[in-house]
Amino acid sequence: MASKLKKLVDDVKDSSNPELDLVDKGIVNILEIPGFVNLKNLTKVVLAHNKITSVPPSIANFLNLEIIILFNNAIEELPTTLSSMPKLKTLNVGMNRLSALPRGFGACPMLEVLDVTYNNLSEHSLPGNFFCLDTLRALYMGDNDFENLPPEFGRLKNLQILVLRDNDLVALPKEMGELIRLRELHIQGNRLTVLPPEMGNLDLIGTKQIFKADGNPWVTPIADQFQVGISHVFDYIRSDTYKFLYGRHMAAGAAPPPKTNDKSKKISRIKK
Amino acid sequence: MTMDEDATSDNSSVVTFCDSATMSLGSAVCQRCGEGFGLDEQIVNSNGQMWHTYCFVCAQCFQPFPEGRFFEFEGRKYCEHDFCVLFAPSCAKCGEFISGRVIKAMNASWHPECFRCFSCSKILADEGFIKNQGRALCKDCNAMEKAKGLGKYFCFKCHSIIDGGHLKWKGEPYHPYHFNCHSCGCELKEDAREKDGNLYCLRCHDKMGIPICGACRRPIEERVVHALGKTWHVEHFVCAKCEKPFLGTRHYEKKGLAYCEIHYHQLFGNICFVCNNIINGDVFSAFNKAWCVHHFACSICDKKMSQKTKFFEFDQKPVCKGCYDKFPGELKKRLKKAYDEAIKSGK
Repeated sequence: MASKLKKLVDDVKDSSNPELDLVDKGIVNILEIPGFVNLKNLTKVVLAHNKITSVPPSIANFLNLEIIILFNNAIEELPTTLSSMPKLKTLNVGMNRLSALPRGFGACPMLEVLDVTYNNLSEHSLPGNFFCLDTLRALYMGDNDFENLPPEFGRLKNLQILVLRDNDLVALPKEMGELIRLRELHIQGNRLTVLPPEMGNLDLIGTKQIFKADGNPWVTPIADQFQVGISHVFDYIRSDTYKFLYGRHMAAGAAPPPKTNDKSKKISRIKK
Repeated sequence: MTMDEDATSDNSSVVTFCDSATMSLGSAVCQRCGEGFGLDEQIVNSNGQMWHTYCFVCAQCFQPFPEGRFFEFEGRKYCEHDFCVLFAPSCAKCGEFISGRVIKAMNASWHPECFRCFSCSKILADEGFIKNQGRALCKDCNAMEKAKGLGKYFCFKCHSIIDGGHLKWKGEPYHPYHFNCHSCGCELKEDAREKDGNLYCLRCHDKMGIPICGACRRPIEERVVHALGKTWHVEHFVCAKCEKPFLGTRHYEKKGLAYCEIHYHQLFGNICFVCNNIINGDVFSAFNKAWCVHHFACSICDKKMSQKTKFFEFDQKPVCKGCYDKFPGELKKRLKKAYDEAIKSGK
């Protein structure tokens, strides 16, 4: 196995294409990949479907890395050094066992696409400077444990794609309405009953846009609008009638609907 | 309206003093008291009638006439003051008595020099006037008022209402037909334009090469942008989506509209989802996204895909079959359920 890996690494070293593809190779420790540390010019590393449990801080020594894919591993923690990687544009750590993002992660200077799908993250596991990631254009956070989103979300001004599918969200902050570049929003499978009227600012109903909101316990007036079509939902939440209704709904402070998603079978939870 | 003129004047009074000695007084009696005259008494003789000097007085104040001037009315003689008080009209403007020519207008009397246009103060005695809301106006001012009331302009040259479009020239409105094109001499219309202090018809103005902005339709005096077969003010040539001026930066044209780079590619879908660069050449499209040839690959294992490769959708990203098969069963179950529901509801 190790010799096979070494051959793959050596091939990359000799070629002009500094991209390393080690998908489904049973790798447990990145540092044990023979010759890996010598690939200083690496721009892309794909390590999906392995058994990696931790990412070494020395990953940050690969100054040219732009794309890191670690989908479907067993990573519980990421190194704080990630935020110092000057060219990192895409980080995919989906389907792991993350319960937090490292301190200072928001300092990543170039990060455009962050995929943390299928982990154990919640609003309490985001570092304080997370919303400084204003270069972010796509954020995949489906299959996590978010219940509320902080109002600072409105600072991710460049966000075009936001996936919050299958979390435990009970409400969206009104600052969502500030994400004016958003053209793709997935909020299916949450505990949402209302949408903030400010989301009426968003343009999510064209042919170039995607808005997915199934599987939420919407209040009747919103559910009715979903029946006739998404454009009706947005027309409705822009209306004064709805603003009044929303104000009353928020003032009433009704208890959020109970959790319905059974996450006990998620592999990110199951202890080995 | 018309004016009546009264001649109220002293032409009826002839003032004479005669020496009594030269007259034969046989049976003469005083016109007032009917008594005879004493021999050495001074007698006043006026128009063949005679008075005692003490009888030759004003019929109103019984005082002798100052400087011998009197005014006669219905056989009685009055001093100037009492005559005026009793019979002369007084001017509605200055309040003084009017002797000589009287202008009767607007239910009042006026000195000719006191009856003036309410608006421009021109003397109206000889040219006539028009009553306008209880005011006397000259013809010009009345026309101007009328024009204002109708929301129309009033020609600065011929002083009449401008019924069609007007031409502004040095700040005043005119009938366009009072002017001729400085270049071809044709009679101007309202669309005439000014250049360097001269007026030109639109044709000549255009021929002089002064470009018109495609956005605001006004002439462009400063920097000119040539694009989309038109000319534009620098600040009016803007992206059709974000409306920010290009200010000399590159623009992209589509269906007669111009876009900035970002919005052109955002709208027409030519930015690669992976490298975020503009795609030159072939474009792979799926899930409302685009990929360049190098970057169309499984979003998980990065295996290259072609047009023929079958792939699954996961959060609107392509996933190859190999990766999808490795998904945990519970996730696949949920994805299948969501997929089936979407099919069922016909989305």
